[in-house]
Amino acid sequence: MIRCEQTGEMMSARLDGRLDSTEIALLEEHLAACSVCRAEWRGLQALDRVLASAQTVRAPVRLRVQIMARLSRREQARCAIIGGMALALGTVALALLVLSPIFVGLLDVMGIAPVLISGGLETVTHLLALLGALGRALLVMVETFAVPLACLGLFGLMITLALNGLWIGTVRHLRVGVPGD
Amino acid sequence: MKLSERSARVTDEKKWIQLALDGDQVAFGQLVTAYQTPVYNLAYRMLGNAGEAEEAAQETFLRVYLHLHSYDSQRPFRSWLLSIASHYCIDRLRRRRIVYLPLEDEIAAPVRMVGDSPNPEAVLVRREQEEWVQRLLVSLPPIDRAAITLRYWYDYSYEEIAEGLGLTVSAVKSRLYRARRLLAKVVQRE
Repeated sequence: MIRCEQTGEMMSARLDGRLDSTEIALLEEHLAACSVCRAEWRGLQALDRVLASAQTVRAPVRLRVQIMARLSRREQARCAIIGGMALALGTVALALLVLSPIFVGLLDVMGIAPVLISGGLETVTHLLALLGALGRALLVMVETFAVPLACLGLFGLMITLALNGLWIGTVRHLRVGVPGD
Repeated sequence: MKLSERSARVTDEKKWIQLALDGDQVAFGQLVTAYQTPVYNLAYRMLGNAGEAEEAAQETFLRVYLHLHSYDSQRPFRSWLLSIASHYCIDRLRRRRIVYLPLEDEIAAPVRMVGDSPNPEAVLVRREQEEWVQRLLVSLPPIDRAAITLRYWYDYSYEEIAEGLGLTVSAVKSRLYRARRLLAKVVQRE
């Protein structure tokens, strides 16, 4: 014969059809003899009937529209960020391309380019000298070209922002419509 | 649902999932249509009010969309989806500092039931019963509430509940008994 402490989970499992015939027989034998467990079993059965008769709550009509709108906004934001980054990198690349003749010219003026091309052990020494020279050259450039460089930077930023705004507008215009209910 | 209808539904569902993985939001919309009620019902039973249940359902589908690539097709999609919803609701309940119901919910913003009868009196009686059931559920700790909800509303087996909630089968058995014992005492008092 099983003890009262063992019957609790057995009764719960019986409600779920998890007991085999031997376990059911043992449980029923105990319930026939124990009024306390019998009362608990009746209580569990009553609760089971209440919960089993409960219905499913239907989702509100607007829920699907809300979910799809949220997904759509997320996709738009993702496209805008990727597009903006691509534009920014493109602008930087373009600026470097435009300024590259100036840097190459600087190397020629300082006589460093021919030494680099010829190579050899002297290259390392010359590279160190180059770094020093570049530093000095940058200081000179900043001093001489501070205002034009600042204007170039500001112009580049404005172009980037304008193109970014255009990109976001294009993405919004071309986006797939959210399907309705 | 007939077996043939169920098979067709599973085939469609696999197609929708594959299309959604390729970025087709319309296909994902079909999944939302198919599962919004089960997800909302679970969230409502767990959180106890319509507003939070809507928010939870939205968040669940967003997470499903973002992590669809990690879905294991060997597992039923419904199980995976409801597991995400359960975990979100359990986390949300744990973060609650004060348990309260917003005033509009205390006035009982009407929720629609599957199979609502057109008879107003029957609807009222049913609504009162459902509110009572909901009050019973709210008295349970989060994980026990999830286990009871998955057992009674989704007919999950112990193994499915264990997988969905990250428990052992033995723990599920124990939690179901504990929850039932607690609720039975409440029912007896009332």
